[in-house]
Amino acid sequence: MRENPYIPRKAIIEDLKDETPDTRTFRIKLEKERFVFTPGQFIELTVFGYGEAPFSISGKVGESAFEITVRRIGTVTKALFRKKKGDVVGIRGPLGKGWPLERLYGNDVLIIAGGLGLAPLRSLIQLIIENRRRFGNVTLLYGARSPRDLLYKEELIKWRDMVDVHLTVDKGDESWHGRIGVVTVLFDDIHVDPKNTIALQCGPPIMMHFVSKKLKQLGFPDENIYLSLERLMKCGMGFCGKCTISGTYVCLYGPVFCYSDIRGFIENIPEAGV
Amino acid sequence: MLGEIYKITQDDLYELLKRLARNHKIIGPVKKGSRVIFDYADKVSEVLVDYDKRILLPPKKFFLPPREVLFEYEILENDVIIRDRLGEISREKRVLIGVKSCDITSIEILKKTFDRHFKDPYVLTRIKNTVIIGVMCRDVSPTCFCYQAGSGPLPRTGCDLFLTRLSDDYLIEVKSEQGQRILNNNKDLLKTASSEDIQIRNRIIDELIERMKRNNLPELAEAYDSLVSSYESELWNMYAEKCLACGKCNFVCPTCHCFDVHDEVSLDFRYGARIREWDSCHFLSFTRVASGEIFRKDRSSRIKQRIYHKLVYSVNDIGVISCVGCGRCVEVCPASIDIREVIRKFVRR
Repeated sequence: MRENPYIPRKAIIEDLKDETPDTRTFRIKLEKERFVFTPGQFIELTVFGYGEAPFSISGKVGESAFEITVRRIGTVTKALFRKKKGDVVGIRGPLGKGWPLERLYGNDVLIIAGGLGLAPLRSLIQLIIENRRRFGNVTLLYGARSPRDLLYKEELIKWRDMVDVHLTVDKGDESWHGRIGVVTVLFDDIHVDPKNTIALQCGPPIMMHFVSKKLKQLGFPDENIYLSLERLMKCGMGFCGKCTISGTYVCLYGPVFCYSDIRGFIENIPEAGV
Repeated sequence: MLGEIYKITQDDLYELLKRLARNHKIIGPVKKGSRVIFDYADKVSEVLVDYDKRILLPPKKFFLPPREVLFEYEILENDVIIRDRLGEISREKRVLIGVKSCDITSIEILKKTFDRHFKDPYVLTRIKNTVIIGVMCRDVSPTCFCYQAGSGPLPRTGCDLFLTRLSDDYLIEVKSEQGQRILNNNKDLLKTASSEDIQIRNRIIDELIERMKRNNLPELAEAYDSLVSSYESELWNMYAEKCLACGKCNFVCPTCHCFDVHDEVSLDFRYGARIREWDSCHFLSFTRVASGEIFRKDRSSRIKQRIYHKLVYSVNDIGVISCVGCGRCVEVCPASIDIREVIRKFVRR
């Protein structure tokens, strides 16, 4: 039998950077091998002594190290936040299916993200920017709770050169002169051609619920909408059963799903907006 | 040859077990206190080969234990040493004897479940290292429906040898190449089975089927379409109101395989272990993600999860239904929810 897929590979934290008061980006390098992934995939990260949890990959493809952006929220993430540069963690993956790159080439791309949902889309945005001519119009709609909860603030500014970036926050402050409101308010500011645009979304279920509704109102065909679904991907290999939707393992066939596949599920999907 | 049937006396059957026990651990129905359970036998004579009742906890626990250490690790200053537990597992060779057709089929289903895109080496190694000797039922309990589940009374595959109790002797049937090898090495214990013996065996099968047919249940494989179109049915709320979400049905089920994973650590924080433990799709915590979101809040959605997994999702996923008709969930449910009644309600015949 091949090597045991439950055993994590050792990896080193190369760097870390605070993004918001409760999120931090970790740059991680495998001890022995190169790490190859496609945007939208995820890893299982072990903090030894605490446990393992799934995280979407947020860094650039093709580099020797990869990045994850983590919210300090549970046992494993709290322990991870105590880790420093040079500390050892365990990695399994990359796992799952990412964003449909082949569908994006030559088309317009509309990216809608809420809060930490920008993390799995950041790898994709970076890939788009490096291969900008292969894509049509690229628009990013991004919402966060408050200005200080916006992820990747410096990059958001840089991305503006190559991507049409629209931001909104639920609650502003003195420094904020932009949009206020949930991410769907940004649809008022843009024009998209639903037939030639692929819409990609990741965010809290309630956000995707309303974004899906909005996209359907705008006339997006089901097959042009993709969602990254968050479920409890414990083993990440299609065994533990915790992440299934209608019996479909999110860890194997997702986390990115086409809306037309989601519509085929018999179980209710809050994110589908139907 | 596969399917070939020999005869063996009860004494010689135990002699065969004794010989196998030289390099295998023997698991079978064993008396513990006032109960009979599947367990390791210290002595071959303890094994009740054709114990005729259905044992409450299926032999699943020998392939997917209720709780198991996947690996251990030692936390060093700035390093970690991981110790895989797989080595110990792969060294243990076992014989599981006295398994009924429903449970034999369930092991086949577990094998399919854990051998897909990824291979679960713990479960698959244990299955690979276990010789399975099945035995024909002598009785049908009121909750049995293996015939409609397509898993009995005779298993299609999944065991190496299969026994049928005659009055004093047993028929022993070759069900795999491994089973053939075992018999080849123990030819001195075998006798030829007469055509009358085979007729008796066939009559036993016919009688078991006849008795199960009386439970007026459609074939479970036919439930697929009806269930797919009944997901939104109001009837599910009725079951949701009864269900206590206790998870007993999951824990006695020979095919329920969902588990949770967590780490445990020594008090001095030097040693840790990754543990997996059976989980239940009836528990609210089953779908809870880090943000606190719970994706199956309604009890009806959790009841449906188990039934649909057995009869719909499983077909999509591994090509077969994953209810073997053992009736254990029917027997243990404190709210008297009976999967057969659910099927009768939803399947229009």
